[in-house]
Amino acid sequence: MRLLNKLFLFFAIPCLNAVSRVYCAVVITVLSWVSPNWLSWNKYSESMLRSLEKRILSIVKTPHKGFFVDIGPVVGPADKIWTISLNVESPKTPLVLLHGLGAGVALWCLNLDAFANTRPVYAIDLLGFGRSSRPNFSTNSQEAEQQLVRAVEEWRKELKLKEFILLGHSMGGFLAASYALSYPDQVKHLILADPWGFPERPTEYKEVPLWIKTIAYVMKPFNPLAGIRAAGPLGPWFINRIRPDISRKYALALDDSKLITDYIYQCNCQNPSGESAFHAMMSDFGWAKNPMVNRIDKLKPEVPITLLYGSRSWIDHSASDIIKEKRMKSFFKLQVVTGAGHHVYADKPEAFNQIVLDACQSVDSLINSDDSNVQYVEESDEPESDSKQ
Amino acid sequence: MNLSFAGCGFLGIYHVGVACCFRKYAPHLLLDKISGASAGAIAACCLICDLPIGDMTSDVLRVCTEARSRSLGAFSPSFNIHRLLLENLEKFLPEDAHVRCTGKLHVSLTRMHDGKNVVMSQFDSREELIQALLASAFIPIFSGLIPPKFKGVRYMDGGYSDNLPTLDENTITVSPFCGESDICPRDDSSQLFHINIANTSIELSKHNMYRIVRILFPPRPEVLSNMCKQGFDDALRFLHRNNLINCTRCLAVQSTFVVSETLDEDLEYDPQCKECKLHRQEALVSNVPESVLSKFQEAIDKANHGLLHWLFKHRGMKLLSVLTLPYTLPADVMYATFTKFRTYSTNRGSLIVYRDSARYDFVNFIGEIYESKSYELGLRGNAVLIPPYFSCSRHLCTRRFMVAAPQMGNGVWELSKVFMDKLSYLLNKINRKRQQLSAKITCQLAITEYDKYDVESCQDLKSENKMNLNFTLKLEDSDLPLTQSPVRRFKTKEILQRKPSFTVNRTDTLDNDTFDHILQVTSQHDTIMAYYYLDENNKVKVTEIFDVSNSDSPIVQTSHEKLANRNLEFDDNWQDEIDADWNGQDSNSADGASQYDIDEILDREPIFSDPESEWTGSFKIDEPEEFCSADDHRPESERPRQEKFEQEQKEKVAA
Repeated sequence: MRLLNKLFLFFAIPCLNAVSRVYCAVVITVLSWVSPNWLSWNKYSESMLRSLEKRILSIVKTPHKGFFVDIGPVVGPADKIWTISLNVESPKTPLVLLHGLGAGVALWCLNLDAFANTRPVYAIDLLGFGRSSRPNFSTNSQEAEQQLVRAVEEWRKELKLKEFILLGHSMGGFLAASYALSYPDQVKHLILADPWGFPERPTEYKEVPLWIKTIAYVMKPFNPLAGIRAAGPLGPWFINRIRPDISRKYALALDDSKLITDYIYQCNCQNPSGESAFHAMMSDFGWAKNPMVNRIDKLKPEVPITLLYGSRSWIDHSASDIIKEKRMKSFFKLQVVTGAGHHVYADKPEAFNQIVLDACQSVDSLINSDDSNVQYVEESDEPESDSKQ
Repeated sequence: MNLSFAGCGFLGIYHVGVACCFRKYAPHLLLDKISGASAGAIAACCLICDLPIGDMTSDVLRVCTEARSRSLGAFSPSFNIHRLLLENLEKFLPEDAHVRCTGKLHVSLTRMHDGKNVVMSQFDSREELIQALLASAFIPIFSGLIPPKFKGVRYMDGGYSDNLPTLDENTITVSPFCGESDICPRDDSSQLFHINIANTSIELSKHNMYRIVRILFPPRPEVLSNMCKQGFDDALRFLHRNNLINCTRCLAVQSTFVVSETLDEDLEYDPQCKECKLHRQEALVSNVPESVLSKFQEAIDKANHGLLHWLFKHRGMKLLSVLTLPYTLPADVMYATFTKFRTYSTNRGSLIVYRDSARYDFVNFIGEIYESKSYELGLRGNAVLIPPYFSCSRHLCTRRFMVAAPQMGNGVWELSKVFMDKLSYLLNKINRKRQQLSAKITCQLAITEYDKYDVESCQDLKSENKMNLNFTLKLEDSDLPLTQSPVRRFKTKEILQRKPSFTVNRTDTLDNDTFDHILQVTSQHDTIMAYYYLDENNKVKVTEIFDVSNSDSPIVQTSHEKLANRNLEFDDNWQDEIDADWNGQDSNSADGASQYDIDEILDREPIFSDPESEWTGSFKIDEPEEFCSADDHRPESERPRQEKFEQEQKEKVAA
């Protein structure tokens, strides 16, 4: 009945582009059919996700603790953020990890040990992803971005962290940069691993045939990972079909390669509110509506940046030149990990860990030098000499 | 470093572009193992066997135009990709292809019964190699119903299990789809989603969607040309980014042994060499070689001319061809069934049977008349265009002959032809005597057509072969069964075998890719100099320098260089002669001459140690010519002094 109402509502509106609206209606109905309320088409279960995460994180040797951080009404009425903490007793500057789209804290399993050796490490599921709560975000790109960033800030306040090193991968990199823009005083070092949303969308395109454009148009209203949810019980199999490489990256460390696939499925088959927020921030298949290169010059020059790329990654590397140019006066270091793709932390964990640890090391030395009353500006010259390329 | 080419159907043209670039700018990367699946495996094989790129290009283009000429594209029942590939491989692969490929070429295959991936690198014969390549490119239903056997097991396309076989960590992956590969196009659309199918990462962008469709539906030659260029540019960008472009004159082949573990695996080169720098700068602005571009232009022109194209340019005509599909399709299917039946009946056992059947088909009388007719047509039109190999020429000729006829007519005509072929084949099987008789007739036909040449004298034939490709073709067609002595037959075969090598040379002189010889040189010659040193990262580095000027293989040097070098060689020999003969006759002049020679050798020596000054002046080339020409005019005793004087002057100038 509700469904009919919806359809009727759409038809009743006399609109200019009637066709597209009809199409939207169809999409919504289809989505409502495959929504979890109806016949439990997808196989999400909280306990399963928890046990999967636990099993994956069992390869982490450092003792770790997982807990929900109650951040109060940021987007929804009572939002919680799932957090993994390691080595919290260490007095050094903590490292905070933000995952990419469709991922979760467990995917850092190859890196947590190395990071936690020297300092406290916090890995969080972003609001709307993984095990965190999933409120409905704004459909406006800037608002959605701010909501996600504010959730991180509330989380920081709740944990009473004074300052930290922020590491973000892919979409997490975008949010990390956005966080550093809004709250620069808390970020001692910004590490961006293959970040999404930096380059600007090119104004001119290579021309593609009409039928390709049609397909693209049809795909537009869908959330990026809608296919996984539509696959229902076949979801894990589907993920394994289209992304067998992800579980292969973890094959050396994990005995059961199905764990990662199942984990990713469980993370993404719930109500896709975080994904919708991402969809709002994105325009035309993966370009950011507010690309970071246009804003990065507003970032306080005191915040040092380390930029990491996998040499095979399809992410546009051109942004790095622009950032370098715009931040002439501050620390900027570009590192390219050879042989790694977009998931640089899992492709070449050793190289990745080393680069991150070096960046963290520079923060420690900076603090020491601060203690001995050496001015920051002096320090900022040194890194430029060792910045690559 | 190993190379790996992704399977990609008709997008294989991208690999041609990449191969072009590697041949030209980084031949040292082709020395290691090369792996691939499907079209990638074929490209890898061509690279290892050192086939000229021009031929590769025209090959791919021919298959594409063949597919495009049908109303259903590559899916037309009468389009037999399997046979086309077989013919082309048979034609182009050298006799020792399996020896070259064993251990170097790694072909990814999917085992039919369990769907597991198998990587083959051991090939016992040329037939086996071809069989492996065909199996790797076998898409069930699309290429045929029964997958080919390789070493007793049935295999299908490697793209089902591992489309981009990587042998180790240091594999350079080449893929025509934008994604996580070392060499691939970078699209300006998506930034986030990609999928990984059979080890090939494909970004979900609009352009990739277009490319995926083009795997089985070949695009227009213009688009293919762009794809090839894209491959060339992408490969160049990769080489440039990783500093893999070296200069060729000093040809430093570098190897690195890692003594202790280091993170950085980049090969490094001597940054001092000016020529390397120059070469790199030149590479930045370079384009696909002319030889390849001309092939594309040819194909584009060919596609845009002709009555059929003019007709089908209009949308109405396109619509009509689609609408008439229900009528033309049954005929096409019938025809395809017949041809398939024929190929299966003959091709089941081995490839040799296939070849024999081709011969049988040929020998029959009706077929012969048809062949000679279409052949004459081809001759009048454009003699150069006709490829040397019979089976292929038949292909081309039939196309050419019926270019104005509509598709339907084609089908019926070919159907009747096939039927007759079949009939005569059966007759041949029943009566072998009759077959020989008819063979005689064909040969006489050949003689009357070309009464200018004397068939009896084989020597003459050889020389004619070189000049007139068409004539060879004719010979091969008839296969000279009338010469009953086995010796004669052997000789004609020899000619036939030599012929492809001739065409190779011809295209090579047209080619600008003078760099593939570096591979040859390095494999054939010893180094002049090699440094071994340990750098700060505990890596042992080896730099080997080869002397290119002395290698006499024809493709290493241009004809001009070769001439000059030959003169130099004569010079050296001449000195020996002097020692042997002249010494007794005229001691004065002999002394002078020998002294001169020593001087000259001394002068020549810095050529190797100082590569920059080596090729600047032309005096090295001029000297011996002058010397030889002076033979008649001047008294011998004067010569060396004069020469020495000139040299001294030049040295002064140089100083």
